[in-house]
Amino acid sequence: MKRLGGYGPGTAVVAVPLGIALAGPLLVGEPTARAASFTLDAGHRLGTDFVGRDVVQQVLLGGRPVVLVALAATVLVYLVALPVGLACALTHRRWLEEVLMRPLDVLLAVPSLLMILLVAAAFPPGKAGLALLVAFVSAPDATRIVRAAAAEAASRPAVEALRMQGESWWRLAVGYVGRSILRTLAADAGIRLTGVLYLVATAAFLGIGVAPDAADWAVMVDRNRTGLIVQPWAVVVPALLIVALTMGGNLLVDAAMERRTPVRKGRRT
Amino acid sequence: MNALRSWIARRLLLGVLQTAAVVLLVFGLTEALPGDAAVAFAGDQPDPQRIAAVREAMGLDRPAHERLTDWVVGLLHGDFGTSLTSGRPVAGFLADGFGPTLLLATLTVLILVPVSVGLGVLAARHEGRLTDRLISSATLGVYAVPEFALGVLLVSVFALRLGWLPPTAVGYGTDLLAHPAALVLPVLVLLARPVCSLARLVRAGMIDALAAPWTAHARRYGIPGARIRYGHALPNALAPATQQLARTIDWLLCGVIVVEALYVIPGLGTVLMNAVADRDIPVVQGLAVVFGVATVLLNLGADLVTHRLAPRSGAAA
Repeated sequence: MKRLGGYGPGTAVVAVPLGIALAGPLLVGEPTARAASFTLDAGHRLGTDFVGRDVVQQVLLGGRPVVLVALAATVLVYLVALPVGLACALTHRRWLEEVLMRPLDVLLAVPSLLMILLVAAAFPPGKAGLALLVAFVSAPDATRIVRAAAAEAASRPAVEALRMQGESWWRLAVGYVGRSILRTLAADAGIRLTGVLYLVATAAFLGIGVAPDAADWAVMVDRNRTGLIVQPWAVVVPALLIVALTMGGNLLVDAAMERRTPVRKGRRT
Repeated sequence: MNALRSWIARRLLLGVLQTAAVVLLVFGLTEALPGDAAVAFAGDQPDPQRIAAVREAMGLDRPAHERLTDWVVGLLHGDFGTSLTSGRPVAGFLADGFGPTLLLATLTVLILVPVSVGLGVLAARHEGRLTDRLISSATLGVYAVPEFALGVLLVSVFALRLGWLPPTAVGYGTDLLAHPAALVLPVLVLLARPVCSLARLVRAGMIDALAAPWTAHARRYGIPGARIRYGHALPNALAPATQQLARTIDWLLCGVIVVEALYVIPGLGTVLMNAVADRDIPVVQGLAVVFGVATVLLNLGADLVTHRLAPRSGAAA
């Protein structure tokens, strides 16, 4: 797919939100005294939020949870997807494959946000719970992709040869098949990360897995909406940062995919 | 014809299995509650009397399989149970929220299909040139942006800064069609992600189809370009896009929940969010079943259309 430029635009767009998310908490000074809510006076460059906290400080603090939860969820996805996908691709027992893969078809039929809401209604999660939950709804699709890629690699003559040499399952799965599917995995991980980021931010906006006054960009957008008319910065700045983060992330992933792998059709986040 | 019939039968069977699985999953999840639904509902101020009353109302003292059977039989008759907070039948909640949500979804899909096909074909016709690069970059950029961030920015610009549109649907009740201005922003936000993904697929499919040997052959026969493009290439390009349309439904259902929360539209998404906040398990269960079954049905429909458009592709079954 032809776009404007390679890594340039994506890096430019993602640099600011990612920088704030990672370095922001280091730059925050002592929390200032609470002022009146939704004011725009001289002491606060971007005004105050719904409980009178400084918006600049909240913005600096609010990126890290979004990014960290998304990263943790992506890692968790592959902790499930890799072993299950590889086991399915390498096994010669059809029933094992069916037992492992069929339930995923069913999970794919449930809208991901609905699943998150449903589980959250039963067990209100914390940050770790949210990461687990997002990983749980993202895992079926990732598992399918791992399995498809690994099945192709596992049918190569080299695998047959390794088997006849009596190589262990571990060397076969990790040493050969795992290494051959690295590129597909890298591309999929990028797509997965943008999808997970979307789910994490949306869930936080809906109040799942976060405290009602948490320093979190998505929560800021939600809680400060009531003061949008008097004090737009408390909403607009975090919303812009989320837009830049997801948009830039997606541009980067696409640039990377174009460089490293042939076009993959019908992808899904 | 026989192969087609057996394919349809297998696909329908998968749909039935998925529906059954969704119902079981919904029941199982709430069954796995620590304590039980009554304790969860009582929340921070557990009042033993109240818990006992809820237990009684939900029949929690009976074994799980009996309750499951009752619930499923009720579902088949359109009886979704009773809300814990208000004592109203859940079906009443569903009926209240159904109108606005259906309106949003229908409007979105009606606009979605022509816009994304149009953009995709436009980009494919100008492959590699400025129009294509602009469309491709824009669709790629907006593709992953969460609805709430996009929506809140649109509100600040178009509703608060410029004052062209109302910021929320507050005060318009459920009859939104009478106030089209209140629908513009919600539908725009709902459209953003699906349009991007579909337009990209249509573009890719169109480019493939126009580069295929049979297109060149049709050209040599002197068939007009427009007929090749819209009569032959487009249906082939649409097959993968229809499958994506089914996946888009997943996004639309998620999007509806967010957009209704953002624009304060009294639809099913709002009902669901309120029920989640109140931990009103029967309402959550009922809505989950409705959303889940809707997804299964729409996926089924999309697969049937895909099969019709490109029988050789052998859509999943």
